[in-house]
Amino acid sequence: MATVLSIQNLTKHFGKIKAVNGLNLEVQTGQVFGMLGPNGSGKTTTLGMLMGVTNPTSGSFYWFGEEPTPQLRRKIGAVLEHPIFYPYLSGQRNLELNAMIKQCPQENIPHVLELVELTERKDDKYKTYSLGMKQRLAIASALLNDPTVLILDEPTNGLDPMGIAEIREIIRKIAASGKTIILASHLLDEVQKVCTHFAILKRGNMVHTGPIGDVGAGAETVEVNAEVENLNEVLLGFSGTASVNRENGVYQVTMRDGFHGKDLNRFLFDKNIVATHLVTRKKSLEKQFLEILAESH
Amino acid sequence: MLQLLKIDLKKLTSYRTFWIICGLYFFTLLTTTASGMEFLKWLARTIEGFGQSININRIPLYHFPDVWQNLAWASGLLKIMIGIMVLISITNEYSYRTIRQNIIDGLSRKEFLLSKIYTNALLSVLSMVLVFLVALVTGLIYSSRLDMSYMFEGVEFYPAYFLEVFAFLSFALMLGIFVQRSGLSIILLLNSYLIELIIKENIDDYVPWLIKYFPLESIMNLVPMPFARYAFQQIQDYVSLEAVGIALVWTFLFNYFSYLRLKKADI
Repeated sequence: MATVLSIQNLTKHFGKIKAVNGLNLEVQTGQVFGMLGPNGSGKTTTLGMLMGVTNPTSGSFYWFGEEPTPQLRRKIGAVLEHPIFYPYLSGQRNLELNAMIKQCPQENIPHVLELVELTERKDDKYKTYSLGMKQRLAIASALLNDPTVLILDEPTNGLDPMGIAEIREIIRKIAASGKTIILASHLLDEVQKVCTHFAILKRGNMVHTGPIGDVGAGAETVEVNAEVENLNEVLLGFSGTASVNRENGVYQVTMRDGFHGKDLNRFLFDKNIVATHLVTRKKSLEKQFLEILAESH
Repeated sequence: MLQLLKIDLKKLTSYRTFWIICGLYFFTLLTTTASGMEFLKWLARTIEGFGQSININRIPLYHFPDVWQNLAWASGLLKIMIGIMVLISITNEYSYRTIRQNIIDGLSRKEFLLSKIYTNALLSVLSMVLVFLVALVTGLIYSSRLDMSYMFEGVEFYPAYFLEVFAFLSFALMLGIFVQRSGLSIILLLNSYLIELIIKENIDDYVPWLIKYFPLESIMNLVPMPFARYAFQQIQDYVSLEAVGIALVWTFLFNYFSYLRLKKADI
């Protein structure tokens, strides 16, 4: 697999603040790479450096194995933070301008407008667009040059649930076409749904990186409820129980390694208890994220 | 080069403010330069005795070769209008943050700056051509006799006038890149002559030779004020090469400072 992006020891200090601190990262072709982190963890600063608008304090990075140049940037579609366009120009004119900057044919414009479903509003001024339309125009602009890499920074920020679903659908479509996507977000659910790999930043340091499939490996949690008085003691009596918590009206049983929900079910049945509620929960990215952040003090 | 100019013009030509300011500028340029005789007539009507002591028809305002320097100097006063347009154009890029998106999309910082400089050059050329045409037409109308031997004497004020406008627009562009806020930068541009005047007045007694090296002074010196000749005073009726040299150096420095600033900044 070819390396699309390789970051070595990338550092950015704003005065005393270490916005990004010695970041090392590799992104391979075809990955949908999620960059996670709380607000102010250095995601946008990192992407700003990758796209040439923020000058790194030290360190280096390579796109497609080459030193970064403006010519290379034209092959990358990027939306950082929020959509930026000329408010007095129509969507169409803004894209025409971007096509000139990216030196790609104007004929690509109808196709990307169609993809983000903005064809009907293309001749209206950008300033009349709703936030969702602005986000979609930004994605259209990023796709204009048929880039092999797409960088999206908080693409669903401030959108309503329908808007979020639409953007997610667009990202899925793009990922399915084999493009590499770097997605910065603090919406973990979002990342878990579309990403293949992820990294977690905290105060400018990378605290975790790996494939998304690894999330949820490890201890299982089973939610149980039954109409018996002493369910807590019964559950604690099970040999596969590591701990029991009562939460939201159900018992959360953390299992020991090698034990699963069906073992607990059988155990209860043998005790003549029929569960009214039994759900196996894999650890969510959100849970893992919070754990990693808590560990990395 | 043409591609970069096209990019900047694409941003401006759909911008209503651009058409209003440029329209006003070129319209004022046209009317101001073409209405000198009307102005003199108005003076004669309003000021007691003006028409009697000097016959206004004897003032060769629009006669070749006087017309060249007269109109070039008068037009120079209006360049502040187009300077404000340049400030709006560059500070918009900061307030909309489009400068950031332009770089992300694949312009280099140098190319971004060049696109603005090319537009400055185009506006300067248009100003020069317009004033040249007005001078030519009014000269042909008002001159009592046409003599090719001296008709084009003083036409070298037009390249000088071009440099005057271009140097000033380079100054405005630099101001916009450093200040980044439209209101503040426009106020600074309007006050820059005053600020320079105060400094000049204060050092005049100690280092008088330094005055001509001041940036705005050097721009003003390209086309000297000609009207004193109608009060029988000696004027400089040629373009001083020294003034051109100093103004060229400043023009280069303005644009170079802009470049350094853009290169170092996080956008």
